[in-house]
Amino acid sequence: MKSHRSLVGWLAAPAVFYLTVVYALPLTWLLTRSMMGPEGFSLQLFKEFFADPFSWRVIGNTLRIAGLVTIVCLLIGYPVAFALARARGVVQVILLAAIILPLSIGVVVKAFAWQIVLRRDGVVSQFLVGIGAWSEPQRLLFTETGLVVGAANVFLPFMILPIYSVVKLIDPRLMEAGATLGVSPVSRFFRILFPLTLPGIVSGIAFVFSLAVSMFVIPSLLIGDRFQTLATLTGRSFLLMRNEALGSVTATVLLVLAVTIVLTSSLLARRVGRFT
Amino acid sequence: MIEPFLEVRNARKNFGSTTVLDGVTLGVTRGEFVSLLGPSGCGKTTLLRIIAGLTGAEVGDVRLDQQDISRLPPHKRDVGVVFQNYALFPHLSVLENIAFGLRGRVSRDEATRIASRFLDLVHMRDFADRSVRALSGGQQQRVAVARALAVAPKLLLLDEPFSALDRKLRETMQIELKRLLRELGTTAIFVTHDQDEALVMSDRIAVMNQGRIEQLDTPEALYHGPATSFALQFVGLSTRIYGKVIGNQDGNVTLIETSHGVTRAHAHFVQGSQVIIGIRPERISLGARDGHNSITPQLMDIVFQGARVQLHFASTEDEPIILESSARLPGGLVPGQAVPISWAPADTLVFPRDTSA
Repeated sequence: MKSHRSLVGWLAAPAVFYLTVVYALPLTWLLTRSMMGPEGFSLQLFKEFFADPFSWRVIGNTLRIAGLVTIVCLLIGYPVAFALARARGVVQVILLAAIILPLSIGVVVKAFAWQIVLRRDGVVSQFLVGIGAWSEPQRLLFTETGLVVGAANVFLPFMILPIYSVVKLIDPRLMEAGATLGVSPVSRFFRILFPLTLPGIVSGIAFVFSLAVSMFVIPSLLIGDRFQTLATLTGRSFLLMRNEALGSVTATVLLVLAVTIVLTSSLLARRVGRFT
Repeated sequence: MIEPFLEVRNARKNFGSTTVLDGVTLGVTRGEFVSLLGPSGCGKTTLLRIIAGLTGAEVGDVRLDQQDISRLPPHKRDVGVVFQNYALFPHLSVLENIAFGLRGRVSRDEATRIASRFLDLVHMRDFADRSVRALSGGQQQRVAVARALAVAPKLLLLDEPFSALDRKLRETMQIELKRLLRELGTTAIFVTHDQDEALVMSDRIAVMNQGRIEQLDTPEALYHGPATSFALQFVGLSTRIYGKVIGNQDGNVTLIETSHGVTRAHAHFVQGSQVIIGIRPERISLGARDGHNSITPQLMDIVFQGARVQLHFASTEDEPIILESSARLPGGLVPGQAVPISWAPADTLVFPRDTSA
């Protein structure tokens, strides 16, 4: 038993070392930096940050966009995960490739592609005018809608794959058993499939939300500087404004928000799915 | 004629080019326990799924309690199913599993009350709040039965529910289930490939082979009067000998020429027909007897089984001739000896032989 434990320690050692050096130390420095005043420890920087209405708009922007992206990914990804899990043979291979291959295309390339699609004379605009939904061409690029659409596209696989991995393990006979007990299809979904896929949904939400809340390149290219999120503001503070104080504060706020939301959602889910 | 409680008429089903059900017709009386017995791939599970509405038949009707349910979805059929792997809901407790189908039909309190009653009926009261994942196979099986019965279905279907249990537990569960269903007056159809299980549990057994029901009869009738050579072979032990009809005697005795000599049987076959003779092992006795078919084959093995003993004799066919006796054997029997044995013409079962197969 003892040798088993020490083996676990050694197996984890490379990752622990690597993460300590490249992740924990810089992060600690960043957190420390945000709590440094002219005379040592101080929360003055946070006070100033939260006193500014602009900061609250940025926080609102960040949470709203990340939330919308997560919801869009969940709504689109959930049924796809089922299709993927129930598909067989060639169909499944094609579906999996269609979901995983786009990950190999860089975010910058995708964002530029979306710029073309979302332009005033882009495909989406022309299509919506064509079917009569819009009376005249409009620009989706540099709007929140365009940002959500583009970001959801980039992060969709991170929603589909965790849900798929859970759905794959669900015995299809559970739904049949529900049917033979006289339970309608809609109730069967909410009483059997939904609770059983909850762990996958939570992982998917955690992945997509964490990615969307901290994305930098996509908003920079799809919505521009007029619209700031915590992540883009952090980037600007360090890269453009050379304001380490502001940057470390926004980074800390972002970190605390993201961790809180992800942890709360998984705790809630654990309470709902007590036996899973 | 009174309409049966459950009636399946001419059910047909193909999976691709394979015919799984080839026009099955089945009638079950209210309160009856009927087994579908057959080897894997004979279509018994497919028939069960068609009755439950989980698989659609290409042709055929299913009527239950004077109502055509062929086009109803499974949740409107009032047909309960106990699945082979039990299919318990892993995210729910034992009690919640049993109450699952009651929710929405009766009040929450009533659902808990009914579920508790069924929990008692299957002797699982102490496990109410456990996760079903923590249960043994036998316990899961009890929960699955209780869950299916709690909603009081008109018909209960069981798909090999004992196949995952060890032999001893299986025998206990068989008796328990039979008693429970009788107490509740539930009509049940039971799918199994285990002939002993079918003989123990059933009011009637439908022997299935290649998508058809070969015979539907009581266990006794099936054992003593199998309708086909398949039914003979699949239910109980038997010795089979191939032969050819060479004549008739006294109008009702057929003479069959076999490699063991001429055998007499009570049957009617056209002269020259190729036939299979079947004899149950307990119908063969030691020693030659007047008026009986007597042969003197070589003894190969003595298989002692406690209450009974089997003697295996060399045959000209691939399978041995098997004699089974619950009496004590006379001393001096040694493998290698030629031993006279005999059986009555009335116990000689004769079936047409399908020479094309």
